Amino acid sequence: MNQLIPAVGFGLITASILCIAAVGFTLQFSVTNILNLAYGDIMTACAFVAYLANHAGVNIWISMAIAALFGAVFSALINRFVYFQFVRRGTRLFGMIIVTIAMSLIIQNVLLAIFRPTFFSYKASPGSSYNFGGMIFTGSQLAIIGIAVASMLAIHLISTRTKLGKAMRATATNPSLARSCGIATDQVIDAAWLLSGALCGIAGVAFVLNTATFSEVTGATFLVPIIAAAILGGIGQPYGAMLGALTIGLASEIAASAINPSYKDVVAFVILIVVLLVRPQGILSEVASAKEVAA
Amino acid sequence: MRDRPAPTSVRVALGILAALVVAACGSSTQGATPKTYSGTLTFASFNPFTGPDASFGPEMNAGCIVAAHLINKSNGVLGHQVQCLTVDTRGDPADAVPAAEKMIATTTNLVGMNGPSSDEALATVPIIDRAHLPMFGDTGQKAFDQSTYQYFWRLTPPDDAAGIAMAVYAYNKGYRRGAAVFGSDLSSQGNVPNLLTAFKKLGGQIVINQQLALDQSSYRSEVEAIIAANPDVLFTEADPQTDAAVLSQLQQLGKLIPVVGTQPTVQPPWGQAVSGAIGAGNLAQIFAGAQPYAPSSGPAYDVENTELLASGSDIPNPVQWQADPYTETDYDAVIMMALAMLMAKTPDPSFYNQYISQVVAPGGTEVHSYAEGMAAIAAGKKITYVGAGGSISLDKFHNSSGAFEIVGYAPDGTNPQLSVVSAADIAKYKS
Repeated sequence: MNQLIPAVGFGLITASILCIAAVGFTLQFSVTNILNLAYGDIMTACAFVAYLANHAGVNIWISMAIAALFGAVFSALINRFVYFQFVRRGTRLFGMIIVTIAMSLIIQNVLLAIFRPTFFSYKASPGSSYNFGGMIFTGSQLAIIGIAVASMLAIHLISTRTKLGKAMRATATNPSLARSCGIATDQVIDAAWLLSGALCGIAGVAFVLNTATFSEVTGATFLVPIIAAAILGGIGQPYGAMLGALTIGLASEIAASAINPSYKDVVAFVILIVVLLVRPQGILSEVASAKEVAA
Repeated sequence: MRDRPAPTSVRVALGILAALVVAACGSSTQGATPKTYSGTLTFASFNPFTGPDASFGPEMNAGCIVAAHLINKSNGVLGHQVQCLTVDTRGDPADAVPAAEKMIATTTNLVGMNGPSSDEALATVPIIDRAHLPMFGDTGQKAFDQSTYQYFWRLTPPDDAAGIAMAVYAYNKGYRRGAAVFGSDLSSQGNVPNLLTAFKKLGGQIVINQQLALDQSSYRSEVEAIIAANPDVLFTEADPQTDAAVLSQLQQLGKLIPVVGTQPTVQPPWGQAVSGAIGAGNLAQIFAGAQPYAPSSGPAYDVENTELLASGSDIPNPVQWQADPYTETDYDAVIMMALAMLMAKTPDPSFYNQYISQVVAPGGTEVHSYAEGMAAIAAGKKITYVGAGGSISLDKFHNSSGAFEIVGYAPDGTNPQLSVVSAADIAKYKS
């Protein structure tokens, strides 16, 4: 029991990073119907951009903002110049998955060629430790949780209070109908990639701040939990991804304290399978069901 | 009466079958005469060059390049220049098996190799052995302690011996409560059984044996479990990113304790990652790593080291491999294969493989370089090659092992020697 409360704290940190990444991932899918398996590698590329800025003397949080900007532009460009070209030719969901895997390998190997196979760290202090009722956080971890909350709030506001948000939701639900209603779906898709790319950049830097070091494959290793969180919540559902991230983050850390840390991934994925057996479309399901039909 | 001739189709089938049998015999056993070679001979460095163990490959290839330079300066082997080929296994059997098959099928004049490492040895050694290619594995796996693979050779000690060396050093330093914190990969886990047994035999206690799933976003739960067990020393081997995360999270909780690692933790990428995470000064205070002991002195080492430092752009930052036991033994391996070719009078692996043990057999004229060995062989003398990594004594399983040295970490990235754990101590505590 005395390890349970700290475990909840650790789970919140993992969930925060996972949340930012999974919402970005699922946003891409909801609007464009592309399961972007290069997402983890774009995270890594963003982490490298932040590294370059940070080692040029820029504060780590400003470096994170630069990485978010890079992630937004980079993702939008990848979509516009690679993925969209295949979509236009009628490539189906499975074909697009292969294209994204190819993109993943290309990004990984370009990073490898540029930065060589070694490990990198930011010049950033984790800050002092704070104890909240047995849950211990460093200053940077509290900042990551704060950034996650702020990002989710921003996504919520964009989604519900802006024309762009409504257009994105319309495009996600039925792109043809949205187009015939006068929505410029191409621009909406670009905006979705910019937004999700920015989240990808923030997630990449937050992830590295937590792991302390990274290499050209770091982001790819985090892809499976990201997809798991997105699927658990109902793929294409930003709120579902938040819920999925919270479930996986907390479940894995609590399981680690209760059973054995070696099994924390096992427990998280058993939960995923059980939930999907009961509710195959994920926790929040409406758009996910529509997507399956469309695919 | 003459027998009725077999139908044409049957005769064709029998002909094909006979040809296949002949071809199969030819490929599986040593032919009566050696193959002839023209052009440059190739030695492969078959190791991870990317992935978590990406540091293994450059370390190995540095030794090969130095040996190739020196062999070529002595006019090559039997009139052939030699070269090194890097083959990336990515540290994963799934990638290593096709890499091995491709290497064997497509490399012209491939006559020997260094590798595989522990990451891919179990999957690839049988394939390479079947291809009759002499290999000097840098795998430490116990499975090869009594290997019956004819073409498998090993100049470095097994992983489980490293576990004993770590236990002996830690106990001698006064540590009694050890935390075994190893990656869940095959290579890392190979150290654990003998570490646990030896530390217990010595009188210590392993208070927690924590396996680490590699490259997680957080190890806070694992770190909490370690702290709760209250160890006074942490034994470890995991990939740099994993260990960096674990140690930085220990540091964040104010519980950074002395660390005793294995040879991969002595390599530059590990030091770079962990020092980046916890600070070079902190790492220098807490770190000790066990690696096979190569004295880094003597005439053979001097030859190797001089050429290493003069290697120019062929070996980036050669100083990092200057006292690296694996670079030294990989260098020795290529020199041994080349000398065996001279003794066999052919680079054909099926022929020269049996001469490898004779290159280092005791009682011959002691030689310390390819040039010295070549001169002695030309003079009709038996030779005993003493390598850059020290003297080599191969047992009937093609294994040669010895002592371990314990090194620290200095903020400038070098690894000063702290102590030596003798081969006798290793044998004493071996289960």
